[in-house]
Amino acid sequence: MMFATAYEDPPRVWGVGRVIVGDEIVPWPVSEADIDDETEVAAAFLRDLGLGADELVLIVSYLSQAVHVAPFERAAGIVGALYSSADASRFDAFRTASLARQLKPTVVFGVDDAVLDGFDDLGRDPAEVFASVRAVVASGTTARARLACAGVTAGLWLRLGALSAVAYPGETELRYDPTRWQVEAAGNELLLTNLVDRLTRSDRFRTGFRGRVPHPGRIAL
Amino acid sequence: MSLDPTRRYFSPEIEQMPRADIASLRDEKLLGDLIPWAYQRSGLIRETWDAAGVKPDDVTSMDDFHEKVPFIDKDAIRSYRDRHDDPYGGLLCLDPADPTMKGIFSAIFSTSGTTGDPTPAPFAGRGPSMLVREFWELGARPGDHFLHCLFTFRGPSIHDTIRGIGATPVFVDHQPSDIEQLLRFSREFRPTGWYTLSGPLIMMIEEAATRLGIDLQDSFSSYKGVVFAGEPIGPRARARVEAWGLELFVQTSLGDVGAATECREHDGCHMWEDTAYIESLDPEGATPVGDDMRGELVSTTLIDKVAPLVRYRSDDLVRVTRASCACGRTHGRVHTLGRKGDEIIVQGVSVLPGDVWGAVESIDETNGLFQLVRPAREVDTLRLRVGYATEGPGGLSALRVRIEDAVEEAIGIRPDIELVEREVLLRQGPPHKIPRVAKA
Repeated sequence: MMFATAYEDPPRVWGVGRVIVGDEIVPWPVSEADIDDETEVAAAFLRDLGLGADELVLIVSYLSQAVHVAPFERAAGIVGALYSSADASRFDAFRTASLARQLKPTVVFGVDDAVLDGFDDLGRDPAEVFASVRAVVASGTTARARLACAGVTAGLWLRLGALSAVAYPGETELRYDPTRWQVEAAGNELLLTNLVDRLTRSDRFRTGFRGRVPHPGRIAL
Repeated sequence: MSLDPTRRYFSPEIEQMPRADIASLRDEKLLGDLIPWAYQRSGLIRETWDAAGVKPDDVTSMDDFHEKVPFIDKDAIRSYRDRHDDPYGGLLCLDPADPTMKGIFSAIFSTSGTTGDPTPAPFAGRGPSMLVREFWELGARPGDHFLHCLFTFRGPSIHDTIRGIGATPVFVDHQPSDIEQLLRFSREFRPTGWYTLSGPLIMMIEEAATRLGIDLQDSFSSYKGVVFAGEPIGPRARARVEAWGLELFVQTSLGDVGAATECREHDGCHMWEDTAYIESLDPEGATPVGDDMRGELVSTTLIDKVAPLVRYRSDDLVRVTRASCACGRTHGRVHTLGRKGDEIIVQGVSVLPGDVWGAVESIDETNGLFQLVRPAREVDTLRLRVGYATEGPGGLSALRVRIEDAVEEAIGIRPDIELVEREVLLRQGPPHKIPRVAKA
């Protein structure tokens, strides 16, 4: 409604994001179809986290994580909810705190160590910032542990190659969709293979994460 | 529909629209549509107009508009927000729970928050913004890669806009931590457009290139245009970037109803008058100032029906001209001078950050990082807090004197200089700018 111009010949590649394997950054082109397909999975995650119609999820992330984040942004619409955004940086932690107060999100997704450092700088207690939030999801295991120390039982979002895996608050195992992705442990490292079409293929892609697969759809780190 | 990469303008029928047609379009959108819509749905607009005794039916011409329509400003929005516990400050015209809005009203983004709490900005619809015209003007074309170097809290419109000209976004964070990837992706994907570059980023790119032994001219040789945004750019920083082979297109905010960006003539930022009605008024009153004279930018959207601003006093001091531009576009241009709230009167003389910018950044050790200290609007002494990267020859005392000399030569006032390590200032701002005025 706000913008008037229509797409003209959008390119096949939706965007060039990245996946991170240990210390290595790998450019990762994805297609519009990739994003649409992952949106279905992300919508299921958000529903399970308690996001309902007419509610709001605050997504805390970086633009460089766009290929992982865009499905969650779109998934909010599938659920009938709204989304808002804050950078996952130390400086922008004030935005996460401010929007948590002003917009009263049901779910805050992607709180990382930098944001928690920022809360420390601001003298803000995560338990107080997120007091009215139904589900907080950390980005990274150390952020999850720090939130736990602060009294916030958070879920966990990890980006294993091109895959987003999510553990719900109180759960230890990460979930993923085994009809779209195959995750296997080889030498204790998790390898990723896409089972449905993706613009950039993952063929036993080394994720850099150590863990095991108790059964398809679950990952234990 | 295919995009002909050789065409000069992205939307020639709009960009070269005759001035009389621009005025007709404005009247049609504003008087016939936007005003009744906003009055009926926006709590802030209705409250403000009712207090002024004005109804939409009273506004049937632009003369009526100028004479009768009351102003709003950021304080009014914040006041409404606080009084009504409404995060949108009474501007939201759509009901998120309305079933017909599903899939249209999709998100809530926010302002940068440099001057206070970030203000939630409701977002509806998807698709390219009017910035397709700017990205085309940069020289980016279908099939190109385009460096998307920004934040998350501005929403997806830039991504959609890059794709709207048929280019592919390459995502990079506007953060010090991602400079190496910015340099790497520039070499590997050879983008032609870049949105955005900022003062702090220039500094960090230069340092990373020195540390890594990277030739910036070579790394950036594929770019045809780069949008610089966030704050003004000083002459020295511009020269440094141009030495890398980059052509900068400065962008400025258009009173929170859009953005205005330079064309290839680099003589002011084009404001798209099919999307916004821009007035330049006496900063202390309601009288229009003359063409290209200093005034306060007052903005009214012509297209945003989600959270429309009507006669919004932006606090931005500008020069606005509707004189023809050599680029061939017919829409007016704005030169940003500073913010009204940043102005300091020192012994009767007006000083804005832009007045001392060139002088401070002419001293290598500062990288142009400074703040005016403004405990009150009128002061006896001009105080500047200046960041330094190195002490330079003669130590900090000598550096202080050189800055004092440069500023005095520029504006005729000798300042008091407080030197701080530059990280002290960089920590105060988002990655793309620092607050240029501090109360203490």
